[in-house]
Amino acid sequence: MADKRLKHKSKYTLDRGIPGAFEGETITRRRFMTGSAHTAGAIAAGAFTLPALGFAVGPILKSTPHRWEPVGSEATFSEVNYVPVVITVTPNIGEAGKSTAYIRKFNPAIDTDAYDKGTPYIAISSRCAHLGCPVRWVDAAERFICPCHGGVYDLLGRRVGGPPVRPLDRFYTRVNGGDVEIGPRFSVNSELRRFSPRDPGEPLDGVGQYLYPSRPGAQKL
Amino acid sequence: MPKLPKLPAPPMPAALREPPPRPGDPNGKKGPLDEAMEAGITVVDWVDERTSLSGAGRWLMFRKVPKGTNWFYTLGSATMFAFLSQAVTGVFLAMYYRPDPSGGAYESIRYVTNEVFLGQFVRGMHKWGSSVMVILVFLHMGRTFFFGAYKYPRELNWVIGVVLLILTMTMSFTGYLLPFDQRAYWATIVGVNINGTGPLVGPYLSDFLRGGSEFGATTLSRFYAIHMLLVPGLLAALIGAHLYLVAKLGTTAPPWQKAEAPKELREAEV
Amino acid sequence: MNKQQKEEYLREYALLKAKGKPFFPYAVAKDGAMACVVMVVIIAMSLILGAELGSKANPTTTTYVPRPEWYFFFLFEVLRVIKPPSLVPLATIGVPTLAMILLFLLPFYDRGPERRPERRPIATLTGIAVIGAMAFLTYQGANAGSPTAIETPTPPRILHAGGALLSEYEAGKKAVAQSGCLACHKIGENGNSGPGPNLTKIADRLPRQAIARTLVNPTAPMPSFKNLPPAKFNQIVTFLAQSK
Repeated sequence: MADKRLKHKSKYTLDRGIPGAFEGETITRRRFMTGSAHTAGAIAAGAFTLPALGFAVGPILKSTPHRWEPVGSEATFSEVNYVPVVITVTPNIGEAGKSTAYIRKFNPAIDTDAYDKGTPYIAISSRCAHLGCPVRWVDAAERFICPCHGGVYDLLGRRVGGPPVRPLDRFYTRVNGGDVEIGPRFSVNSELRRFSPRDPGEPLDGVGQYLYPSRPGAQKL
Repeated sequence: MPKLPKLPAPPMPAALREPPPRPGDPNGKKGPLDEAMEAGITVVDWVDERTSLSGAGRWLMFRKVPKGTNWFYTLGSATMFAFLSQAVTGVFLAMYYRPDPSGGAYESIRYVTNEVFLGQFVRGMHKWGSSVMVILVFLHMGRTFFFGAYKYPRELNWVIGVVLLILTMTMSFTGYLLPFDQRAYWATIVGVNINGTGPLVGPYLSDFLRGGSEFGATTLSRFYAIHMLLVPGLLAALIGAHLYLVAKLGTTAPPWQKAEAPKELREAEV
Repeated sequence: MNKQQKEEYLREYALLKAKGKPFFPYAVAKDGAMACVVMVVIIAMSLILGAELGSKANPTTTTYVPRPEWYFFFLFEVLRVIKPPSLVPLATIGVPTLAMILLFLLPFYDRGPERRPERRPIATLTGIAVIGAMAFLTYQGANAGSPTAIETPTPPRILHAGGALLSEYEAGKKAVAQSGCLACHKIGENGNSGPGPNLTKIADRLPRQAIARTLVNPTAPMPSFKNLPPAKFNQIVTFLAQSK
């Protein structure tokens, strides 16, 4: 039925007997004006929406340069216990851009994992891998404990209880002229394999690393 | 110009109709005193002649509300009133607030709380007003749910209402960070990370909220802009749509209220 | 609702509306009274409870115990209760998103013509159950103790005994709170329920010697506390042995 109707409708406006039609015209003037109105409106709206959106989204794509920050001389840290140090995550905003890391000297008896070889110091972030609350190191129990939703981690930052989805994040470390320096943060999965930094709550085992991709601005060290 | 047909407006209640001229008045003659007394009416007439707003006003205000509506039906307007209170106190707080994470934000709130005349009172109204508004939203939604008021023909109004609920929760979430005390900071960190746990889009969403991969210099101003420009604008627009639909479709009657058929109809059936 | 039911409803509603009263001033008077009540409540809360401002945000803290505003307590409790890491995205995103979708689509799957709550038992009971669950979770969230302090009162028999036992018990309470026991055990309202057993009444099940033995030679994943100073160790054992 639809075919039948199409058949006797020519694509030329002249054949369809539309008033004011001329030779070779295929689009009626009304349709052309309707289309123009829609297009002009879309362009005008897009002209302020798209730049505004790009402006808001921009910081996501921006990559931040790596910074190394000295946190104290080598004598400050021991092989058996963690020492909390204050580090700067975001410069130029004072207190609000700082965080705490727990630092311990590399101990071949404990840090037997292949991925940790050659790391002079183990630096563990105080941000819980569940939802980012501040974990504390409890010496007596040799555990990191999160005060929010009950996450518990062992000496190496691996989860032993509660809801955290991966071990605590770590920082790259190096020794420069007798001072220990803290570099960028990285995330680890339950085998302590290293990944570019993720936000808390994002698992990295199995398909996790693909479900929670790293940000486009993240730089490789 | 041919006279256009005019739609009949709902009748004006007798109390508001212009009274007929009194017998003692001088016939048709109006002194300057009379004109001064009627200045208000003249102004309203002038505006109405150019906008025809009186018809809309009468349609909104003098529509009938079904028999049996009770105090449960005031929860919606009470919510709107709480929103207005939040808007007004929010404007005054915005006059003092500085969205500066390096100390300005906390300092400005401390200044409002401790030094500004009535500062603690206005901030307290804004803070507790948010709790009251959240409670009222939930009560209003409970009334709508248990009375089946979301059913035909009011489905769309329910959907708008759910959007308003989400926007109200967004307001409380974004408003939370602004005082920049310990509770504000950590609750926001947790809240942003909750958004980040959504697969695939989550990491980008939390980056968008923070304006970067870490809590940074612009995070606070982002939350401030969302809290006082983006969401209130959406809220006000959607409250308008919600109210329009209430007026258009009418306030629901309580579900147990049954209409008695008019007498002439019953007789016709017999 | 089919077409006939829709028309029936509209007719019924038109009749009810025709018999009603004008919105202004009858409904507006009630709304105005309610608005006054709302303002009185807000102003009273502002005057009585004030606007407290906590200490300044400090991202470097390792001792602060974050707790949300009361209307997010239910979500906070859900996050605390759902323990297996594989279910975390379900708790944070899955359940809230599902609840929102169900709420959005409510008028599209509940299309029956009946509106009286007592004649829609499924809807009414579901509503009451959801409200009850949220109230329960909010209550639980509000009472969630910190995992670094024990707030159970000292039992009267120890207060009565006084002297060395009382001071040993109080010191032990503090030592237990600071030694991370609450990360895996619940004592009173404080601590996490799991992976370890509840220790509120541990002395009913284990004698003093057994408690001390477990602290030195625990089963994994519990760490050994044998490296603690002997005085502190004895305080912990005393506190636990008196917890009944």
